[in-house]
Amino acid sequence: MATIALTGVTRSFLRRSGARRKQVFVALGPLDVQIGDGEFVALIGASGCGKSTVLRLLAGLDEPTTGQVQINGQPPRDLQTQHSLGIAFQEHALLPWRSVAGNLRLPFEVAGLTATEDRIDELIALAGLKGFEHVRPAQLSGGMRQRVAIARALALRPKLLLLDEPFGALDAVTRRRMNFELERIWLESRPTTLMVTHSVEEAALLADRILVLTERPGRVRLDTCVPFSRPRPAALMRTAEFHRLVDELTANLEAA
Amino acid sequence: MRLRGLIFPALGCALLLCAWEVVGRDGMLGKTLPALSQILRVYEDGPRRALLVRSTAATLDSAAAGYAVGVGLGAAVAIFAHLVPLMRGGLDRMAVLVNALPVIALGPVLIITAGREGTPAALASVPVFFLLYTSTGVGLRGASRRLEMVLITLGATRWQRLAKFQAVAALPSVLAGMKIAASSAMIGAVVGEWFGAPSGLGVVVLNSMQNFQIPLLWATVIVIAAITLSSYGLLTLGERAARRRIDECDG
Repeated sequence: MATIALTGVTRSFLRRSGARRKQVFVALGPLDVQIGDGEFVALIGASGCGKSTVLRLLAGLDEPTTGQVQINGQPPRDLQTQHSLGIAFQEHALLPWRSVAGNLRLPFEVAGLTATEDRIDELIALAGLKGFEHVRPAQLSGGMRQRVAIARALALRPKLLLLDEPFGALDAVTRRRMNFELERIWLESRPTTLMVTHSVEEAALLADRILVLTERPGRVRLDTCVPFSRPRPAALMRTAEFHRLVDELTANLEAA
Repeated sequence: MRLRGLIFPALGCALLLCAWEVVGRDGMLGKTLPALSQILRVYEDGPRRALLVRSTAATLDSAAAGYAVGVGLGAAVAIFAHLVPLMRGGLDRMAVLVNALPVIALGPVLIITAGREGTPAALASVPVFFLLYTSTGVGLRGASRRLEMVLITLGATRWQRLAKFQAVAALPSVLAGMKIAASSAMIGAVVGEWFGAPSGLGVVVLNSMQNFQIPLLWATVIVIAAITLSSYGLLTLGERAARRRIDECDG
């Protein structure tokens, strides 16, 4: 599995202002965060606070302007080439011309491995999509597609799982159901996980630890542990402790 | 429903053709617009029919060769520009420049370099190259950015991303380019033949015009139009099939 260390990380962009002048604006940081092995961390914050940038930095899709991003002491690009990262976005980003099984085979092909039928069956069962193996993404519901995308992210048993608003495009009821599905799926292998979300309830329900970022430039405003034991039942959401946590997070989010 | 949709277009076409026949017979627009029946008689006349068959074969040969070269080269250069982003700006400008050159101006140069027989194919390939370069590039760049990010994160090499994802996603756009390019290849070949090719539909057009063989001229033009339209129609079917298979459609 993986431990993550962000040390003094900032990310700035050049923005054109006026005819010739370019202005540097800092989108993120400085950020110092350590994430332990097997931890499920949720990152919340206002729009534009740079939480997706953190995720992109960890995925090796972006480089910090200053500071260092390390996963198990290595830069994220190394984990890419070792096929040890899994990622899922708000848009399912499945290959539309491939079936569910075909999409789940993709990570294996990329890694130069042959996907055994057993492993593909296992992933399909994990996503709760038995009987839909040969169906194309267009024929699936939004929630089903997201489950395929998450199963694809987990296909190679990654050291680090990155989720960017994975249920952001779903309706409230489906989203709630998906949250419990995700916990079930996650508990099977417990990879170190970073999930970016807008939803305070989602964060409180799923994470071991929650980071609230301030508005731009995003810094850690609150770093809090979630005390609830797993698996977490639906009834948890009606308890006073859960509400207290949600209220505290919301207050911090609004102050941000 | 489908049938009813065809009735009006068919009626319109029939009306137009009848009008052509009447106007041609009457000669009210002069001798240069003969009646349709007079033009159709060219196809029944042994020697002229043989001439058209021979010429069509020659022109199709040139157009097909130019088309193949243009499609292959255009797509290959677009893929190269995609894989080596450093080269893209320059290649884009080069493609635009090639396309902006007037074909008529290129002709004499091509006769020197490609020869009289090679010029039709060479001229056919120029617009095809440009269209395929553009449509392949658009298709490759239009592929979902999110999927690209997923593949990079999974550790896919540039080549794997191209083979497993971008090339397939680009296919509908490539086929759309090939569809338009087919007509361009035909036009390029016919124009190329005007620079002194030994045979071909372009040669027949030129000769019949200069010798005032008006029905033969029209008959040749109709053959050219028929080839252009049917290749366009055929490739439209291919493009549609590809879009059905590849593009995302809900439902």
